[in-house]
Amino acid sequence: MDITSIKKTALGKISASKNAEILEGVFKSYLGKSGELNSLLKTLGSLPSDQRKEAGQSLNLLKKEIEESYALKKLSLQSLAAQEKIDSERVDVTLPGLNKEKGNLHPITETINSISTFFESLGFDVESGPEAEKDYYNFEALNVPADHPAKDMHDTFYLNNGDLLRTHTSPVQIRTMEQRDPPLRIICPGRVYRKDADKTHAPMFHQIEGLVLEKNASFAQLKGLLNDFLTDFFGQEMELRFRPSYFPFTEPSAEVDIRWKDGWLEVLGCGMVHPNVLKMAGVDSKKYSGFAFGLGVERMAMLKYDIPDLRAFFENDHRFLKQF
Amino acid sequence: MQFSKNWLNEFVDVDISTEELCGQLTMAGLEVDGYETYHSKISGKDAIIKLDITPNRGDCFSVLGIAREVAIANNLKLKMPSVKSIKSTLPSPTDIKVCSVAPVYVGRYIRNINLLAKTNPLIAERLETSDHRLIDPVVDITNYILLELGQPLHAFDHEKIDGDIRVRYAKEKENLTLLDETEVALSKDCLVIADKKKPIAFAGIMGGLNSSVTSDTKSIFLESAFFKPEVIRGRARRYGMQTDASMRFERGVDYELQEIAIARASTLLNETVGGEYAPIQIVQEKKNLPKKIKVSLDIENANNLLGYKFSNSKAQKYFKGLGLDPKSTGKKINTTCPSWRYDLNIESDLIEELARLEGYDKLPQRSLQPLLGRKKVSTERLVSNFFVSQGYNEVITYSFIDENDADLIQNKKNKLKVSNPISQNMSVMRPSLWPGLLNTYVKNYKNGKSDQKIFEIGSIFLTDSKGEVDEVNQVSGLISGNLNSIHWDRKPEPLNFFDLKGDLEKLSSSLKLEFSFQEKSIAFLHPGKTASITLNNKKIGYLGALHPKIVDLKGLKNEVYLFSLNLGSLDLNDHIKYKEFSRFPSSQRDLAFLVDRDVSNLEITKLIKSKAGKDLTDLIIFDVYQGKGIPEDKKSIAYTLRWQSKKRTLVDGEVDEAVENIVHFLNKKIKAEIRE
Repeated sequence: MDITSIKKTALGKISASKNAEILEGVFKSYLGKSGELNSLLKTLGSLPSDQRKEAGQSLNLLKKEIEESYALKKLSLQSLAAQEKIDSERVDVTLPGLNKEKGNLHPITETINSISTFFESLGFDVESGPEAEKDYYNFEALNVPADHPAKDMHDTFYLNNGDLLRTHTSPVQIRTMEQRDPPLRIICPGRVYRKDADKTHAPMFHQIEGLVLEKNASFAQLKGLLNDFLTDFFGQEMELRFRPSYFPFTEPSAEVDIRWKDGWLEVLGCGMVHPNVLKMAGVDSKKYSGFAFGLGVERMAMLKYDIPDLRAFFENDHRFLKQF
Repeated sequence: MQFSKNWLNEFVDVDISTEELCGQLTMAGLEVDGYETYHSKISGKDAIIKLDITPNRGDCFSVLGIAREVAIANNLKLKMPSVKSIKSTLPSPTDIKVCSVAPVYVGRYIRNINLLAKTNPLIAERLETSDHRLIDPVVDITNYILLELGQPLHAFDHEKIDGDIRVRYAKEKENLTLLDETEVALSKDCLVIADKKKPIAFAGIMGGLNSSVTSDTKSIFLESAFFKPEVIRGRARRYGMQTDASMRFERGVDYELQEIAIARASTLLNETVGGEYAPIQIVQEKKNLPKKIKVSLDIENANNLLGYKFSNSKAQKYFKGLGLDPKSTGKKINTTCPSWRYDLNIESDLIEELARLEGYDKLPQRSLQPLLGRKKVSTERLVSNFFVSQGYNEVITYSFIDENDADLIQNKKNKLKVSNPISQNMSVMRPSLWPGLLNTYVKNYKNGKSDQKIFEIGSIFLTDSKGEVDEVNQVSGLISGNLNSIHWDRKPEPLNFFDLKGDLEKLSSSLKLEFSFQEKSIAFLHPGKTASITLNNKKIGYLGALHPKIVDLKGLKNEVYLFSLNLGSLDLNDHIKYKEFSRFPSSQRDLAFLVDRDVSNLEITKLIKSKAGKDLTDLIIFDVYQGKGIPEDKKSIAYTLRWQSKKRTLVDGEVDEAVENIVHFLNKKIKAEIRE
């Protein structure tokens, strides 16, 4: 029995095994049920007792060596196999993903959402109203009686059933005041219509109207609120100018300009709600005062995104829309 | 209103730069549209300033009115223009009768004028720089006075007036040919100037052609009248003739100005066209003059509303400057508004004056403290974010559409039309969002974008039998083209009905709602590829393929799929309660049936469910097949059924029994044959 030669052969075979299957075969050929080494171990009993001990020791030592060598080889083969699998499965991660096409909100909606979010954080509710409106809500309840010259400020579209297309979102103020008791903080975004069309006017555009109706609502708060809003919207402190103006439904009234490039740019109209408007909406003007403001969404979006032509908003060219 | 700075300086001696002056005007509420320097041949260095006057400030439609504001802002005195009294050498040949809405009528007869004379060059220059055409010396002077003082004047050819002057309401359909040669049929609420026989002017709006000054005119009758705003308002617009005169009268002309204006005009006329003058005739109905409005101000109210501290004396100083004659009694200041300010009627108006004179920029600002709002999640925002995440682009199209497009959707009599549309293709309020989406699709398609998913949120407009508008807020969308049209790993697949339906089902489950779909046809869509969408037994929308006729009409090659949903019906279901789920193993069976082609999936699943027992948890259709190996009028349809009990593990026997019941029942009801 040449243990040294068995050992040499066995360890050589283990080390040469190319995969787990071969390794397993080699292992079994020595230490399987009828493996060479196992058979030798079974013959120990027939040896003379003086040789038995020594032979047993060396056989068991060999068995241990084979087992260890086998275990090591198995580990190494496993990690080799894992590496091969990994190598074969490697992908080019720079290839584009699947179903990645996402749509975009229209820049007008983005702008409305961003403005609404600011006001909602101050406790304003978003309200809406009809676009096909009654003369009463669009004009009369807003202190613009029939034939008033202020009507000339709005080129109105009329409908064949006698209604009109609202020229501003202010009617929503009235409808809300009729339905909800003060205190109120609301904003009303929506479409409005004026009979006008050129580079800076579209026959349809969007406004956001805001109304605060509370005890002691003041012009100072109106100034503060609009300053905070414009800072939030443009993401930087803006230089503002409030100057006197005229809206039939506010008194005092103001236009708000922002410093833009080398001049002033009008962005908002606002004022303290006219007592006649409160009266018509059934609000006690002794108890509550209010202020309101209105802004053109297209104008704000044009400034924010640097869009030069108003008409682009309604052309819906995919090359325009995909940019927002 | 456009005027020269030097002209303004004749009324107020203000020595500031044009830029500073414009700054002052802007901050006084007179918006400066622009200004440019101008070199006058007569008065030297000058500037032309253009203002946008708001409708409340009729008093600022004149150099005098603007000068008044400048004087207040600079604490200067207002100077009135020079008037030389002209000796009258003639009697007044005309009798004048006024009425309650025209309580002041000042006239003057002038004879032997020289209309060939040249208009004074300074007057000519100022008219031209104020954007007024030169006509003849008489009309030029009346226009000059209009711009200077804000008082419209009118000169009649005296020889064409037959007898006395009457200011009266027109008779119904009374005809008058105006200076611009348009003929109008007046109505009874229009005021006219008439002689014995005929109307000779549309009062406050435009003179008549029959009494106009021409190159042959030798004698004139000059009118300087006050017509109340309410008798002018609306009339000019109704007849489509906004004039310099009507614009001023409807906003309110100073009713104490008529005599000064005619005297000033006489001075200028005498210098230019000469002539002999009758005395100035003044006819006035004092009782019908506008009442001087008294307004009192509680200084505390002003300070509360503005968040400021005006002292009583400061307020009085400002009011005095405005000509309001303030008198203080206790906390109150009582004022009487001057004849030229029609916009001061209530306390708020006085508060605005205080704010204006102090300067809006000097008033304080305070942040608004946050409050808790109602915080309702907006369905619109949820829905639009959903479609964006599914690859749809949001579009915004006009609410008015082409009538031809509207005709594809609804019948003629229910249309809501724009009476004064901006163009014919924007003349009907859209009864659906589909035409706008389709036209957007077509436009982008022609620009080379064939794969599109777009949606819009907006109102549609329907009318009921009484003509009342039913405005419905909708979301609609359109898909067309391929999925994965160019991808390294996938083949392009044409989008179809079920891509769109899947998106809507996903929307439904993301809102925790259950939409159901039923075959239905509707105008605009393919009759065999259209479903209605219902929620809680209420119809809330449609989806389907674009009707083949419209595909042709629009010259399209791709199939186009559309949907619409009423947003008002889509309230997010946020009342979700946890339900116990089964932890026992489930049993599964696959069943394939041979059925008639027109039996719907819905019908089969209803039948299966009715016999499957309460432990059926899933019913999934996994195959539909028509074609080879199947009779032509049949289809094969296959389902996976899964049962699971919440209480125990089901035994095979009970599941087999349920399957047997189902197979038997389907055979009985719809002659379905089980396929092995």
